[in-house]
Amino acid sequence: MRSLGVFLYEWKHFVRSPFKIVAIILFMAASIYGLHNGADLYEKQTNEIQRINKEVATANNTTLTYFDTNEKGPKNRPWVDLTTPYWAIVSASGYQFKKPSPGIVYTIGQGEQYGFYKAIGISSSPYDADMAKEIANPERIESGTLDFSFVVLFLLPLLLLILLYNIKGQESEQGFLPLVFVQTGSKNWWILARTSFYVLVLLLILFGVVTYGAMLTNVFEVDNLFWNVFIWVSIYLLFWTVFYFFIIKYGKNTVSNTLQMIGVWLLVSFIVPAAIQQWISIEKPTNLMVDFIDAKRDRTDEIYNLSNEVIYQQLLDVYPNLKQTKIGKEAILFRKVKRYCIRALINLAMKNATAKIEEDNRSKNELISKTYWFNPFTYFHNRFNRLSKTHYDDYQAYRDDIQNRIDQRIKIMVFDIWNDLTIDKTKYIEYTTIFSNNE
Amino acid sequence: MLQIIKNEWRYLVRNHLFLCVNVGFISILILSVCLGNYQTQKQENTHKVAKDHVRQQWVSIDQMNPHSAAHYGTYIFKPTNLLSSLDEGVNSVTGNVIRVEGHVQNEITHSEASQMQSVSRFGKLKPSLLLQYIVPLLLVFLAFSSVSNEKQSGRLKLMILQGAKPLDIILSKTLAVWLYGVLLISFVVLVYGVINFQSLTTDVLVRAVLFFSSYSLYYFIISGLTVFFSARWQNTTLALTSMLGIWIVWTLFLPNILMTSAEKWHPLPSRSEFQSAMKEDRSKGLDGHNPRDQRALALKEKVLKEYGVDSLSQLPINFDGLKMQADEEYGNSVWDKHFGNNREVLGQQKQSVQIGGLINPFISLQNTSMGFMASDNLHQQEFLLQVENYRRVFIKTLNDKQTYGGSKTGNWGWKEGTDFFKSVADFEYKPTQVSEVISNYILDVIALIMWSIVVFLLLTFGIKKNQIV
Repeated sequence: MRSLGVFLYEWKHFVRSPFKIVAIILFMAASIYGLHNGADLYEKQTNEIQRINKEVATANNTTLTYFDTNEKGPKNRPWVDLTTPYWAIVSASGYQFKKPSPGIVYTIGQGEQYGFYKAIGISSSPYDADMAKEIANPERIESGTLDFSFVVLFLLPLLLLILLYNIKGQESEQGFLPLVFVQTGSKNWWILARTSFYVLVLLLILFGVVTYGAMLTNVFEVDNLFWNVFIWVSIYLLFWTVFYFFIIKYGKNTVSNTLQMIGVWLLVSFIVPAAIQQWISIEKPTNLMVDFIDAKRDRTDEIYNLSNEVIYQQLLDVYPNLKQTKIGKEAILFRKVKRYCIRALINLAMKNATAKIEEDNRSKNELISKTYWFNPFTYFHNRFNRLSKTHYDDYQAYRDDIQNRIDQRIKIMVFDIWNDLTIDKTKYIEYTTIFSNNE
Repeated sequence: MLQIIKNEWRYLVRNHLFLCVNVGFISILILSVCLGNYQTQKQENTHKVAKDHVRQQWVSIDQMNPHSAAHYGTYIFKPTNLLSSLDEGVNSVTGNVIRVEGHVQNEITHSEASQMQSVSRFGKLKPSLLLQYIVPLLLVFLAFSSVSNEKQSGRLKLMILQGAKPLDIILSKTLAVWLYGVLLISFVVLVYGVINFQSLTTDVLVRAVLFFSSYSLYYFIISGLTVFFSARWQNTTLALTSMLGIWIVWTLFLPNILMTSAEKWHPLPSRSEFQSAMKEDRSKGLDGHNPRDQRALALKEKVLKEYGVDSLSQLPINFDGLKMQADEEYGNSVWDKHFGNNREVLGQQKQSVQIGGLINPFISLQNTSMGFMASDNLHQQEFLLQVENYRRVFIKTLNDKQTYGGSKTGNWGWKEGTDFFKSVADFEYKPTQVSEVISNYILDVIALIMWSIVVFLLLTFGIKKNQIV
């Protein structure tokens, strides 16, 4: 009962501290501002995807008109023959999108470091130049956007500090700490009750702002997203509460407690993550993609210089079912279509090159993950990024999807060429449907 | 005044906690310089290996048609800059590799940040991180009680009775704390100079002096403002919390908000819109690979008339090369228009942020820090411009060879040997001299000086004698 009394009495302390109230108002304002920044990005990406989809539909409709008018392609490009699988597939526009998760309202994460749409062609690769991030001011990207996760990760511990900094210290300085202990019975319970009051206040505020964020995008459409965000924000709050509790418990006065709290905050939020990033950069320097460049140029040239027989055999190795096709049965016909199918082997070489890059990145990420136990900031940061699908792994999954799309396009092309198909309007529509199927 | 400053330092040195924190912090600071330097050198080695590898591929071209070689192209890797070991600026978020080829101006890709999960929101443990975020806090911690403690203990009254002027006391307290900050930045610059002694050039030295000066001004602002609050408020805790509040607003809130707002005030096009607009404009020009292109046909007529012949086969040159170069030059004008527009927007954004320095000196410090360390967006844009200029010379060399090298129009099988490819110059990055770009940072420097004057005036006229004693 005594603890409950202390807990309830803390309300009086709180309402008499304009500094604390102002801090809470500022925190809420920053949270709302951050949530709107996330919602703006969500809207911007969604609109951009819609705009590109319209462009794709227009381009594909233009191509369809050639079938209606019995033309083989645009007049100024007489070499294009849309009745062949190669040119029909090359002309069928298709994009792979990384649709923004409604959770982006809470965390922009690494969403601004990568592109979220990619034109897919038979010569594409997940590491093409058009996979670059959106055009943006690099100084802004470097300083980061003030999103909700920034508010939570950096400002929540500071707000908690402002709310807790004078607990015990003030009583100690005014000399009535022994009296407080006598009246309340237990030092720990007294500090805990007072701390709990502010934790509860913050939990209520966080619940409010997380709910507000949920109204800006379709957060509730994603299973458990709302509750996951709230739970992780709460865990982060508790993490800092434990730190601060012990500082208050063993601290002697307000100024010393404040300095220690700030010190811990700086260490956890700034120094340790920065030191880890520096170490990673030394241990694993930036990959300059030399393997990829080699595959793109020299390996491609090597493949082009292979004999017809070797290319034929290698294509059969990649797609054994090609044996059932027309050209699979009559190898002599291969000479005519060789140059249209060679992309399948180049794609394979590119995949081998990107596998090395991805392995390199994976080992870098593993190294970072191993530091989580003494680098909790990075752990929470990435945890939030995962919730909003803006983590590195989400973009890796997006690159995998792109590669699958390229593989699918090339495979269809090679099989249709080997089957010596003639493309008509219906088949072209089938192509565009398959290639635009971006769920 | 000097005596008060000496006393302040004596007091600090006698404080064991301060000494321990100081030794620890200076060690971290020196370590950050050394690690930053080591990382830059390691990246430089990686860069050199990649650059040599790509160049070797180019000079090893045995036989190739010059225009095919333009399609084969080359790659340029963003060179490392030793100065960035002090402040990395935008380097980790901008790309590192750019493909140089005919017909297309590619974007720079493969940034360091895109190759791993998020680690730190404020970048690596570079001296700039410590000097911008941590040192000001240390100065606040040293200064917040400097006057209020003296007031509470009654020592201040004693000093005034002994003849010390209140203004002298306030200024001395400020200078004592400020000198500590200056000492830390001196350590950084000195260690950097010693490690890189052999690479020091006039430009680097000038940049280091400017870097040092901007931090010194900022530290004066922080020290002065904290001493001002310490003298003004009766309560030590209030002085501390006021300064912490200012630190939070200046370093965490405003830079982010201002940058985001500047992007909204001066929006850049989306990449897709930008590419569509470029493609649209490009389509209005000449298509070097399309023999039926109307503009190509017009050029053909013009050239035939110029040489006084009736057909392309009679030309002493290869018209294909000429056509490709005309295509390039049209493409270059399209690039100049669109990228020029983007550069202009980026410039407007930068200016808006710089004006923000008038309400937040931290922004001016950040701008000058990365600007003087050649790692801001302005230097990035200069690098990209050098790459584009190189691309134009590179492609023109190849197209000229195609045109005037002795082949005939339509002879795509004609090839040049390795000697020619060896003669094509490699890209050499010319670091931007500070004298060329210093005018871009005048607003930041003015903001820092203005703030220093405001703080000095606050210290001089903003505190009444009765508030001190």
